[in-house]
Order: sequence, then structure tokens, then C-alpha cells
Amino acid sequence: MKNSDALVLGIETSCDETAVGIVSGRKLLANVISSSVDEHARFGGVVPEIASRAHLEAMQGVIAQALRDAKVSIKDVDAFAVTAGPGLIGALLVGTSSASGLALALDKPLYGVNHLSAHIAVDSLDSDHKLEPAIALLVSGGHSSILQVNDLTNDVKTLGSTIDDAAGEAFDKIARILELGFPGGPAIDQDAKNGNPNAIDFPRGLTLARDLIDHKYDFSFSGLKTAVSRYLAKTPDYLRADVSASFQEAVVDVLLKKAIGAAQDVGIETLIIAGGVAANSRLRTLAQERAGKAGIRLRIPPLKLCTDNGAMVAAMGSLAVAKGLAPSQLGFEASSSSGITTAIF
Amino acid sequence: MTNQLLLDTSTSRTSVAIVSNGETLFNEYHDGALSHGEALPKLVASALKISPKVDEVIVGMGPGPFTGLRVGIAFAQSFALAREVKLIGVCSLDAIAAQFTEKDFIVAVDARRKENFFARYTNGIRIDEPNVCQPVQLEALQIPIYGEASNQFPDPVAFISISKSGPTYAQPIYVRRPDAYPVPAGVKFRPMTQLDLVPVFAIEKSAYGKEAWSMAQLKEEYAGKDRMYVAGEFGGELISYAGVTNLGGIADVLTITVAQNHRRKGIGRESLRRLIDWARTQKCEAIMLEVRVGNEEAIPLYTSFGFLEISRRKDYYGPGKTAIVMRKELK
Repeated sequence: MKNSDALVLGIETSCDETAVGIVSGRKLLANVISSSVDEHARFGGVVPEIASRAHLEAMQGVIAQALRDAKVSIKDVDAFAVTAGPGLIGALLVGTSSASGLALALDKPLYGVNHLSAHIAVDSLDSDHKLEPAIALLVSGGHSSILQVNDLTNDVKTLGSTIDDAAGEAFDKIARILELGFPGGPAIDQDAKNGNPNAIDFPRGLTLARDLIDHKYDFSFSGLKTAVSRYLAKTPDYLRADVSASFQEAVVDVLLKKAIGAAQDVGIETLIIAGGVAANSRLRTLAQERAGKAGIRLRIPPLKLCTDNGAMVAAMGSLAVAKGLAPSQLGFEASSSSGITTAIF
Repeated sequence: MTNQLLLDTSTSRTSVAIVSNGETLFNEYHDGALSHGEALPKLVASALKISPKVDEVIVGMGPGPFTGLRVGIAFAQSFALAREVKLIGVCSLDAIAAQFTEKDFIVAVDARRKENFFARYTNGIRIDEPNVCQPVQLEALQIPIYGEASNQFPDPVAFISISKSGPTYAQPIYVRRPDAYPVPAGVKFRPMTQLDLVPVFAIEKSAYGKEAWSMAQLKEEYAGKDRMYVAGEFGGELISYAGVTNLGGIADVLTITVAQNHRRKGIGRESLRRLIDWARTQKCEAIMLEVRVGNEEAIPLYTSFGFLEISRRKDYYGPGKTAIVMRKELK
């Protein structure tokens, strides 16, 4: 096999999506996702045991479908990759155990990869641009960080991150208060389309001059959440779409202000926006506008590759193979709380 | 020549064996309730060194603690898929039972939460599907109990005869349903306001009788510093209220009260979840509460959220009425 076009199968089970992707080098061949999100909706959040059971139930079918889509046999796969963390530990273990079973059965290398790195790695697919250096704004249900990516496999510096809630978490909580259901991101995005983003001036966390001393690239969304609750309590006849739009604007505004600011300060011309919140339509539109004005090259993965998927895991594995990195040790430990500095376990 | 790969992760032991035409070529294990994910690939790699060829995979389907159990099943399914060989699932308890010959006995393994998964065997045959109960209930039967507590684990080599004679399983034997509770339908939660105090007082009186707080006490409590109250509403009517306060970094639950005709619908659970969420936003290191000894509705709810008893207070609710103090760490 030539390292640059190795066939890599990636498995993702860190939360509620059972997903398998197959890539050949940087070319995407298959991306199959089975989600248990509907089962969690009536509980108002992901229930770990339900997610883990659904992973085990879906896994074999999802692997088989991905192989059919890619028109390859499992025996053709050169290397396997799997999300080893961060995520729900019981959910992760279904993925790592499945991947170990495949890799040992076929005597092929297995890469345990970092879920966060994989969100960024997906940007490498179906394109031959140079991935690094880049500033990455990584925003999802569990994470909100600004990263300086010098080398995705071994040199990622965290410039800032949230000091309380993740951006996606804030969307979920506000959606719950507004009774828009779960998951909150798509629900608020949709509701906000009928609202005025400037109707209510919600606070932008950590943007005051004194905050910038210690928290220049950090985020805080808990104050925003409180502000929305207070507004609702004292405005009985509020317009929900205006609240959704103004809340979303406050989140998106501060994310972009800090991410573009970081790119300018560090002197890196490329900004990658990755993670589930990168699927937010307002974030995508405003990012185009502002990056254009600032002369920053903006890269946002296609919608279906922003939320959790297997292609991103395969892409990360493929980058590791192309760089000639050693596979993970047999029986590497899945970890619920790994930082992005460990790209390969 | 038929080679069988046999795996079990249903107990704190991870076991792997390879049997070739009835001859055991490999049978090793690793003990550790949280290390199935690390141990299993290593054991299988060692087994494959002895015998690279595998014609059939048999895996223990439990019952057992879910996270470890799934490690073995997920691994076995994928291994069989990649090798294009047959996969058979068997009941793990049967592989403990196979080691004993008494006429009537129980096999029991840890089910967490101070319970056991178990099955009863008569004349070597399991008489029912595996179930779950408290150890004292099994002891009451006064027949031998084998299993993890007396250091007996499934012997994977026994899987071969079990797969031929006994029932096989395509799905994990979970026995228990997931702990998950729907958000109560039609109930709206919102911050409590001063105006709610009138219906709150009505519920308070009917719920606590003579021990109910007076309107003045409720007003004073509500107006206190560093606290949050959440109200539940159904059809425009107030049906629950709950409050929490931050006492210097430790959150303290003030009350969780649900109107009599709306109990057992998950409203208390959802209220408590919101109190805990608030305590987290306050960066509290822990959240505490008091509950009356013998309150069999509330104590399991608190336990399921991870509250642990830390002390008792005599006469807390009046003479002879003891309170259990419970605490949940938030860090």
C-alpha cells in the first residue's frame, strides 16, 4: 500500500451517533450514520445507557453498509481508526472494542484517535490543500475552543476554551427553557430564522476590556443563559423567535470575534470551523462575511461532516498513516476526558 | 479441524479461550472490573499466536454489568464479521453452572446497585431466564449459591457444550431496562415568582399538614439570598415547586414538593435535575439534602442521582423523626 492512498475505516461512538466512514487517502468513500437521537429526545438529553445499547445494536449493520457504499471488502482495509475519547465511556468502549475485533481478526493496524482532532481532520477530505498551519474554532456540545494547529497529529496549542458551558450545551439549555425540544442546536437555528437577531441585546461573555487580560480567547456562556432566563421572566409576552435569534447572535458573534481575532493576532491566514455547532446556519453565514472582510481564508466542512461522523475518524487515521505514525498499543485505554494534545492514543 | 474462539466479559473477569476439536489450546483471564477494554485485545492477541485460525466465535451474552459486557460482545461480533465466521451467543451464568453438580442451586453475579443477576439450576438445567434481585432474597432460598462472590467465574470452555445443548442468544441479556425517565409530558418548568406563593402555600399545607411552613415562612425563604426556585405547571396550574440555595460553595436543597395528584410522574426527578444544574452553574463543590428516614419514594430517586448518605439527624422533623443527610459531589 502507498501510505498516501491507504484504505482506512473509521468508527465513531463517542455520543449518540453510531458512525462508520471509509476513506482512501484523502478521498471520502463512505459515511454511514445511525443516530439514537430520537430515543433521547423525550428525556431532554443523551442517556448514556440508551446510547451504548443503540451503538451495539447498530454497529454491525453500519459497518456492512459503509463497506457496500465504498464498494470494498473488509479484507481490503489497510488500517482501522476509532474514536478513543473524549466522550461517554460506555459508548466509546463499544467502538474501541468493535475496532479491536476487526483489526485483530485481520491483523491490521488500529489507531485510537482523538474525537476533537478528528473534527478538524475532516477538513482534509476531498481536497489537497495544506491543512496546517490553521486556527481552529472547535465548537460542539461538549467543547468550545480556539486552537492553533501547527501539526494536527502532534502540535496543537489551545489558545482558549470555554470556562463554563460549551456552545452546544448553551443551545440545548436555552432550547429547553424555550421548550423547543432536544437537540437544541437545530431547533434554535430553525426558530431564529423567523426572528430578529438584534431585537434583544444579550451579553457577549468575556469581551470586556478587563476580561481580555486573562481570557482573551476564552468563552463563557453561563451569563448569557442567565440573561435569557431573566429576560423571559420579566417579559411575559416575549417573541420566542426574537429570543432564539438574539441568543444565537450573541453566541455566534463572540465565537467569531475571538476566533478571527486569534487568527489575526497569531498571523495565521486559515480559520477552520469544526464540530457540531459548525452546522449552525447563522455561524456559517456570518463567518463567511467576517472572514472575507478580515482577509482570512475560511474552511468549514460540509454540513454532514460537521456533526459527529465516522469519516472524520477515518480521515484522522488516514493522516496518521500518511505521516507514518505508529499505530496505538493493543488494548489502549478509551478516555472520557482526553485533551486535544493527544491526537493518537 | 475446528477452532473455536471463546470470550466472556460478563463479570469482573475477562476470559479468553481457544479450543481445537475439544482440546483446550489456550485459556487465560485477567481480573479487573474496569479493564475489559484493555485486557480483551491483549488476551485475544496471545490466543491467536497459539492458533491463528478461528472457525467459530462463542461469546458470553451476560447478564452482567453492561459496560464490560458490551466490550466482549462488540469485539466478538466484529471479529466474526471480519473473519466471516459464525458467531454464537450463550448465557454466561450457564458457564458458571457447568462447574457444579448439585441437584438444586443458584448462580449469582454482581449487578451493581447492591443487587445480583441470577438464575436457578435444577438437575443441571436452568429453570428460567436470568433475573435480578437483592442478595438477601437469594439467601432466603437456602440452597447453594455459586458465582462471583465466592470467586467462581464463567469458564469459557464450557460455552461449547452450552451452545449445543442450551438456549443461545442473539442479543445481550440485559435483564434491566436503562435508567431513563421521560420529561413529564405537558408539564412546563419555569422560575418561580412571588405570585406563585399562594398556590405554593396550598400545596405545602396539603403535603405537610401540621409541619407545613406558614405563608410568612415561605415568603421569607423565597426572598432569601443565593437561591433558585423552579415551579412546575400543568394546564396553567401550579403543581410543583423546588428550591436550592448556595451556602458558601455547597448547595443545599430547600424543598422539592409535588402536588399529591401529580406524583410518580417524574416531576420531582426533573425538578431535582434542574436544582443540580443550577448548583453546577454556581460552581458548588457538592449538593446536599435532608430526607426523612423511611421516605421510600424519595430515597431511591436521590440515590439514582448519586447522592450518598453521610449522616443522620435525630428529631430533625420533630420528636422521633430522623433525617438522613445525603450529599452528591459535583466536582
